[in-house]
Amino acid sequence: MKPATRLKGLVIVATLATSMIAAYAAGQAPSKGLASPESFNGIADTNARSAAIFTELGKVLTNPRCTNCHPAGDRPRQGDAMRLHEPPVTRGADGHGVAAMRCDSCHKAAKFDPGRMPGHPEWHLAPLEMAWEGKTVAEICAQISDPARNGGRKVEDLIDHIGKDTLVGWAWHPGFGRTPAPGTQDQAGALVAAWVKSGAACPAGR
Amino acid sequence: MTTLGITINGQVHAPTEVRDDLSMNDYLREYLGMTGTKFGCGAAQCLSCAVIVDEPDGSCHTSPTCVVSAASFHGKTIRTVEGHARNGELSPLQKAFITHFSFQCGYCTAGFLNEGQVLLERLEKTPVPRAGLEELIAEALDGHLCRCTGYIKYHEAVRDVVLGDAKRYLLAEARG
Amino acid sequence: MQSSRREFMKWMSAGGIALSMSRLAMAEPVAFADRETLPGRGKYNPAVGAAGRVDGVAKVTGSKLYASDFRAADLPGWPGKTSHALLVRAPDATRVYLGMDLARLGGPAKPTVVVTSTDLAKINARVPAFYAGDLFCPVGKTPIYMGQPVALLIFDQFDAYDRARLLLRDNTFVQYGEETGPVDLPNYAAYRFTRVAGATTDAPDLYSPLLAGWLSPGRVQPSSLPVWSSLTERTDPVYAKAAVYGDKIRSEITAGADTDFVLDRTFDTQSVDPMFLEPESGIGWYEAKTKALELVLGVQSPYEASEAIAFLLGEAKAPFKPAAINTGFAYVGGGFGGRDHTPFILYATLAAMFYPDHPVRLAHDRYQQFQGGIKRHAVKMRSLMSVDRATGKIKAFAADHVLDGGGLCNFSPNVATCCATAAIGIYDVPKVDVTTVAQHTRGVTAGSMRGYGSLQSMTALEVLIDEAATELKIDPIDFRRRNALRPDGRTMTGNPYIVSVRTPEMLDKLEKHAIWQQRAAEKARAASGVLVGTGVACVTKDYGTGGDCSNGRVELSPDGRIAIYCDHVEMGNGIGTALANRVAQHLGGIADEVAVSQVGVFDALELVTSGDSYTMDQKTQDKAQRDPRWVPAISSATSASIGAHVGTHAAAEAARAIFRFGLWPAALSLWGITRRDPRAKDWDKAQWTDGQLTMAGLPPLRLAKLAATAHARNLVTGAVAHGFSRWSWSRARFPVDGEQYRAEIDGLALRRGAGAFARINRSSVVFPPTDNNRMGTAYTSMCGTVVRVEIDKATGALRIAKAYTVSECGQALVPEVVLGQIHGGFAMGVGYALLETLPPFEGGPGNGQWNLGQYLVARGSDLPLRDAEFEILPPATPDEAPKGMAEVVMIPIVPALLNAINDAIGHRFPALPVTQAMLKGALA
Repeated sequence: MKPATRLKGLVIVATLATSMIAAYAAGQAPSKGLASPESFNGIADTNARSAAIFTELGKVLTNPRCTNCHPAGDRPRQGDAMRLHEPPVTRGADGHGVAAMRCDSCHKAAKFDPGRMPGHPEWHLAPLEMAWEGKTVAEICAQISDPARNGGRKVEDLIDHIGKDTLVGWAWHPGFGRTPAPGTQDQAGALVAAWVKSGAACPAGR
Repeated sequence: MTTLGITINGQVHAPTEVRDDLSMNDYLREYLGMTGTKFGCGAAQCLSCAVIVDEPDGSCHTSPTCVVSAASFHGKTIRTVEGHARNGELSPLQKAFITHFSFQCGYCTAGFLNEGQVLLERLEKTPVPRAGLEELIAEALDGHLCRCTGYIKYHEAVRDVVLGDAKRYLLAEARG
Repeated sequence: MQSSRREFMKWMSAGGIALSMSRLAMAEPVAFADRETLPGRGKYNPAVGAAGRVDGVAKVTGSKLYASDFRAADLPGWPGKTSHALLVRAPDATRVYLGMDLARLGGPAKPTVVVTSTDLAKINARVPAFYAGDLFCPVGKTPIYMGQPVALLIFDQFDAYDRARLLLRDNTFVQYGEETGPVDLPNYAAYRFTRVAGATTDAPDLYSPLLAGWLSPGRVQPSSLPVWSSLTERTDPVYAKAAVYGDKIRSEITAGADTDFVLDRTFDTQSVDPMFLEPESGIGWYEAKTKALELVLGVQSPYEASEAIAFLLGEAKAPFKPAAINTGFAYVGGGFGGRDHTPFILYATLAAMFYPDHPVRLAHDRYQQFQGGIKRHAVKMRSLMSVDRATGKIKAFAADHVLDGGGLCNFSPNVATCCATAAIGIYDVPKVDVTTVAQHTRGVTAGSMRGYGSLQSMTALEVLIDEAATELKIDPIDFRRRNALRPDGRTMTGNPYIVSVRTPEMLDKLEKHAIWQQRAAEKARAASGVLVGTGVACVTKDYGTGGDCSNGRVELSPDGRIAIYCDHVEMGNGIGTALANRVAQHLGGIADEVAVSQVGVFDALELVTSGDSYTMDQKTQDKAQRDPRWVPAISSATSASIGAHVGTHAAAEAARAIFRFGLWPAALSLWGITRRDPRAKDWDKAQWTDGQLTMAGLPPLRLAKLAATAHARNLVTGAVAHGFSRWSWSRARFPVDGEQYRAEIDGLALRRGAGAFARINRSSVVFPPTDNNRMGTAYTSMCGTVVRVEIDKATGALRIAKAYTVSECGQALVPEVVLGQIHGGFAMGVGYALLETLPPFEGGPGNGQWNLGQYLVARGSDLPLRDAEFEILPPATPDEAPKGMAEVVMIPIVPALLNAINDAIGHRFPALPVTQAMLKGALA
């Protein structure tokens, strides 16, 4: 009955996981990186470089870790598949849910990995005017740069929001079953800083 | 390991050490043997595991127990299905669940009971007009799954308790 | 129904193991049996005055009731500590299984015991035929299905178990080698049902399953699909006859396409999970010294579970063969079929056996329940139907069904035949030919689930009927009326129903309802951006299996208190309360002790059985029944839809016997009526009113007084009864108190005063004929639904605006529970139609990564909670017996929704579910 003797003589062959398994394993694996701001130095035109930096940052902004809680409506999404959040919660008056179902009923001060449950003391939805769900990188850029549509924020504020905010930082350490946002929070912050510094130009197109 | 001291149904459980990755549900069911709080999905989807958390300010809300750590309940005061009846006397909501045949298998009952009770206590503090009641009931219970009876009889039971003591839970019609 | 199941085992002694369900020591604090006996003597009983259920208080106070509630410390006499087992399952069934990465489970997560297929071989564990297939996939083989177990890990301490389960969840613990593709295994069953009616409705059938038997083609293609054609060589001549009739029906349909209206359609249904709220669990303790195995389980089939466990260990080598197995069966947190014949119990048993002297608990979490729990069959259907354009009458119907049975056979043959025999629903079709095959696949095992094949085929049918009516420009309800089977008409197996058939009333109700009447007006006044549609459907569903057993024991105490024991299971369907109410009809009082899921308390009947009740011939039955203790089968599984009809039958008959030979003679003596007085035979005229027995012109008598008298005079105060139904109940005569007592039972034991139960040898018996096995069903109940939907053009969001369901169930034993079943069936139907779906193979639940959230069931906000109306028709006659209704009520909402969607958007979806995304796509 001793497990140690059980597999004696058995050759364990590690094999490639199927795509299905890979998808879940990916939740644990380090995600693809982000290009550094310096890697865009080769683009001579400042606006083009700035836009290119934002496009790189767009990999983060359009990631499910971000768009799920920047929904287009009142209901967040969840998971890598970006399903509508179940149970069916809505943002409520303050973005923290309605009285009967507050975000912090489930999302406690820290994530609880055994329950696959994300957490943070300020877990809540981004305001409706900051909806990113379904938007292109160019659209997000236009929105993010427009104080009339971003809650009166300056683009400089984004350096800290993306680079330092600990709620945002969860996106890079989401726990079991969720793919982290690309790169690291520092790298994303550096991209925002470089984008702002280069004039905060937006990519062309929709 | 983290220290967990908690008050459950008025009973103080002296601080003990628990693993950080122990869920509150397992703490109740495996450590304390309190299995009235159910385990349904382990993913905060069915809420059969929900308990009532009483805050120091007198307010209360429900919390699932399956997706949260036991340690996060340190210092908290909670109520479970085992704590609603007083000296053998069922609460009005418990009675209403029985007379309305609100449940069949009964596995979701603890969650609905706790959620319904929280709604009643919230209404007691902040009464609403009759016209707003239905939406509140629907909103409050919508997180809970029942696979047997199709929800109607749970909603009826909560509504009946409210209407049966309208002065306590509803704004007077003239004001409402 | 034919069935591949059946282990022939004797009642009390299986493989030399004593089986029992004895009451545990009463000296202990709270014995399991006491916890499960509700409401308990002297406790508040909501069922009195119909104010609730017998289990009402227990369920609102969080009492320990379900199998998942029990730990060793809750079970008197057990060691105090609980150990925990983890069932490791294969997430892939296309590659060779090589073993587990046990090195990962070191230190505090190390299992104490590991059990694999090698260990089962070593101890000589046997797999019961019903569960045929490796219990654990052996190393070096490709798993035969996704989710097939590979090992049990047993952890002495909860914390080690808790740590280990987190380490295992990423699906890389089970290791694989070479890609082999899925394992090919033969199909589970294939049948052809062909009927050709006589020239007139009154003429005998030319050909039918009732006349010819149920036929299989015998020959199989390499793909495991049967060869159905009549032109095949080397075909069994009996099958060939069916094939010739069937092929002719098909060619007539095709040839008539120029003049008749002909539809040729496919419809596919999806795999779903019963999603009962309590995941499967069990706890067991094997004491090496006494060789006693104690178990607490929660299933819909306690008797079968006891048999299966005894078989598993019946030939096991020492020290793995228990001398006695004592199983307590708990209340279940939902079942819906998914706990009927579940292999889970075998693993729970092994967990206890492989860690002797330690109570071991095995419990699924929800991911594991999705991965390993019984599913509903996905079905691919092709249907052909011809309608006479002039009369609007269906001329012929043919269909081919292919069911995905998943990894183990389980109930696939039964579901396949039920699916096929339900294929023409409420209609009278003179020529029918339906083939059905249930295949093995690498999917999770499919088995019993509410609706049991009928849901699938009747959904396809009611959609087809709607399309035919629409195309023929005949009102859909009128079209149904023209084609409805007459109450005395023959079903597609060639037999009539033996219960009420109330199609005209149902259709009238649906037609007159405001939702139907206002369908055009509502469509016309739809808000902009919203499409409105109304749909209707009407179905009929069998209840019972053609091999149903009922065991009941009723005891009356000297103070008039009633205790009831029943072998059927409380899965929420209110069986306990129904029992109390049905017994009260005979004894005038509501029981305060109702114990369900019992297997050992009917021993006084000393029943024996042999053979397979589903396949035995008449001669064998005639010979066997000479033994007055013999019955065709002893106990059967519980489904919600037979709770009322079957589950309560024996207890009601036991109560009737107590009344006739206990309370009635007691009443006569209290009234001073002698045996020679003609009034002494007027037991039928006595009535219970407010707990008192009343007779015109005589003083009313309280139950307590009568009970005391019966005890004092040593009259009958307790009875145990057994009934068997093969589309009709067995009937027998028993010599009691100098008369031949006739009842619809085949076994009876009586207790007099405070004495012991004594078996009464029956003096004659009539079992239902074995030819009844050729019927699809003879018991049926009906349900119809009309529903209005509103669909948002831009988003595809569907809202059920109004719904009406009408149902009939004979006498409703607990009307509030019947209504609750209708509510619940409606909700489950909405989920099935619009929300629930599981991919069959890779990416499906067998990968162990599925949970709610990804799997959507109907919530309150998905349902018209305040815009739905539910009606139960009163019994067809005042004395109409209860009819099963808990399955049929989930069916009509599904096709009604599809028909409403078509009415709204002009598109018929050929598969389930119809999700918002699909609606949006169709509207784009």
